[in-house]
Amino acid sequence: MIPLEDLLIYSGLLFAVGVFGVLTRRNFILLLVSIEIIMNAAILNFIAFAAYSPSTTSLGGVTGQGIAVILIGLAATEVAVGLAIVVALNRIIGSVNVSKAMELKL
Amino acid sequence: MTLELDTLVFVVVAGAGLVTAMAALMAREVVHTIMWLAAFFVSLGMLFFLLLAPFLGILELAVYAGAVTILFLFAVMVVRKRIFSQEAGTGFSVTAVLLTIVVAFLFTEEAIQINTPPPSRSYDVITLSTSLFANNGEWVIILGFIMLSALVGGVYLARESRGRPIKEEGQ
Repeated sequence: MIPLEDLLIYSGLLFAVGVFGVLTRRNFILLLVSIEIIMNAAILNFIAFAAYSPSTTSLGGVTGQGIAVILIGLAATEVAVGLAIVVALNRIIGSVNVSKAMELKL
Repeated sequence: MTLELDTLVFVVVAGAGLVTAMAALMAREVVHTIMWLAAFFVSLGMLFFLLLAPFLGILELAVYAGAVTILFLFAVMVVRKRIFSQEAGTGFSVTAVLLTIVVAFLFTEEAIQINTPPPSRSYDVITLSTSLFANNGEWVIILGFIMLSALVGGVYLARESRGRPIKEEGQ
């Protein structure tokens, strides 16, 4: 079995990659991609802790996997709304560059 | 100490995941970004299988590598005109790189300090669904409400007849 600390290091690196994308990219679609990478790093953390939880209780770490299922649904919802915003931005200001979107009201 | 097969597979899959995640952010074309992102999701799904969570691996492959990737591709097809390389913004800023290094250091340093490998355990789908629907059903209901409001918001944002176009699009 893989050591837990290796998984957490990998998850932290993925989170950092996502943060790098959020900080440097101005294309709305690339921002969404970065947020997806960040959320997947969080999901990986939950699943790693679920796999390594002590089996003393009846359910043990299966709650972590349950939270991961909920998070996967949440992330898919967030992408759907984000892409609707992308389409609306492109229709109204003619660009998906977030630096050009000065008004919050679409 | 011999190199176990699990560790070898983990190194390969994790390396592929990091490379594809970086490549997704470095690609100059948005379509290439989405393809790299799909490869990243596939590598993460393989990692979930390795972590004794086969149901979540399937879910990752179906929802992320399947649905989310296709959704991204449709969005790119709809807004295809100007969003390609000229707006990808593949530059670096020193502040962003420094902040990224700080974040990576903080997370990995905390992880290195965890030094007790606890026992591992696998769960079947019955246990997972019992935990999710019988013991923690309110989470699923809350997720349902969030998805419903997101559906309403998506329909509202994508309406054609609403609002005033600020700028004429070059036809």
